[in-house]
Amino acid sequence: MSDTASHPGDTSVLPAGGGSPRPARADAWSLSGPRRKARRVFRPRRTIPGVIVAAVLAAAAILGAIWAVTAALGHPLFKVSHRDFAGPVQSTTHWSSTGPLAGAAAAAFIGLVLILIAVIPGRPRAVTLASGDESVVVGVPRRSLRRSLAWLAEDVPGIDSAKVRARRRSVRVRATTRLRDPAGLSENVRAVVQDRLAALDPLWPLQVKVRLRRKEG
Amino acid sequence: MSRHAAHVSRTGLVIIGLILLLAGGAVLARGLNASSSVLGHSDAPLLTHSQATYPTQHGWVWPVVAAVAAVIALLALWWMAAQTSTKTVRRLPLEPDRIQGTTVLRAGAATGAITDELESYPSIRAADATLQGSSRTPDLRLSVTAENRADPATARARIETEALPNLRTALERDTIPTVLRMQFSRAFDRHLT
Repeated sequence: MSDTASHPGDTSVLPAGGGSPRPARADAWSLSGPRRKARRVFRPRRTIPGVIVAAVLAAAAILGAIWAVTAALGHPLFKVSHRDFAGPVQSTTHWSSTGPLAGAAAAAFIGLVLILIAVIPGRPRAVTLASGDESVVVGVPRRSLRRSLAWLAEDVPGIDSAKVRARRRSVRVRATTRLRDPAGLSENVRAVVQDRLAALDPLWPLQVKVRLRRKEG
Repeated sequence: MSRHAAHVSRTGLVIIGLILLLAGGAVLARGLNASSSVLGHSDAPLLTHSQATYPTQHGWVWPVVAAVAAVIALLALWWMAAQTSTKTVRRLPLEPDRIQGTTVLRAGAATGAITDELESYPSIRAADATLQGSSRTPDLRLSVTAENRADPATARARIETEALPNLRTALERDTIPTVLRMQFSRAFDRHLT
């Protein structure tokens, strides 16, 4: 994963001409440390799987503790009869039986999934913007960016509807028009979206791709 | 930045995942007779008679199991609480000099001031701010909903050059680590154009 900013033919890096004052990018943002930190802020936190696993573990441990206490007092909550325990289970269930093997495989699989959930960083939920101040991390949630760009594209005269997908390095606009002669329309949409991206000033430049479809009617 | 909760979640998941993977792998290895010299034979019974009757003959087994289960339950509950708590700062000490006496500011007053200021900008529709982490070096979480047709660069410039410095001055801090989340809405379109 290189964070080089220059792609041939990528025009969205340049700020929109003139207009508003904006804080200059601090030099710190060209360093990889602050940039990585900024990206990490918007990584998924894995709170939901963590809380689920914690809840399951807590419930199982509480049940086990209650069971052990009642067993210690001589009245087990769920009685495993001695014959079941020492009879059939003992004589017929071996380490190579289907039950233990399936259980072990399931446990190992769940363990692997949990490790992967914890280790894989996950897709950032926001597009990080350049910031003039090292202590300030700015981001636009991906969903909000998609909606915002789609609204802008729909405001372009001649555009009927637009949908936007934000990828890691590109923004794809799919717009529909009812015009018979949509010459220059996709360039207009591209210009509007690119202007907005330039004003937002994302840390990693986003390429704009526009696909225009004609709708009959 | 306050990424504490993420570390807590991810570390716990790695630990539980490793335990499950290693235990499952060990049972699987024995069942498939991968290394009978280390783990034992795969056709041996899962429970021998002496293992099955061990708890009934030794009184200490069930209390120990209960204690271990209780410790695990407490750890799991602590883990759950650590993941869900956000650690919002409620009071901020302003004057660190104890001899002069201490001044304490309600965090809600500071965050209220900055959200009021932000919402007074014409292009910003709504703002939300919380201070998190320790009260000595709090982190600011700022969420701003901007009007979609307005220039976001202008709004950002004002936030970074006016609102945040004002808050720093008010809290008497040189830097406040800030995470600013910008969202867009177009509900006010008609009023602006």
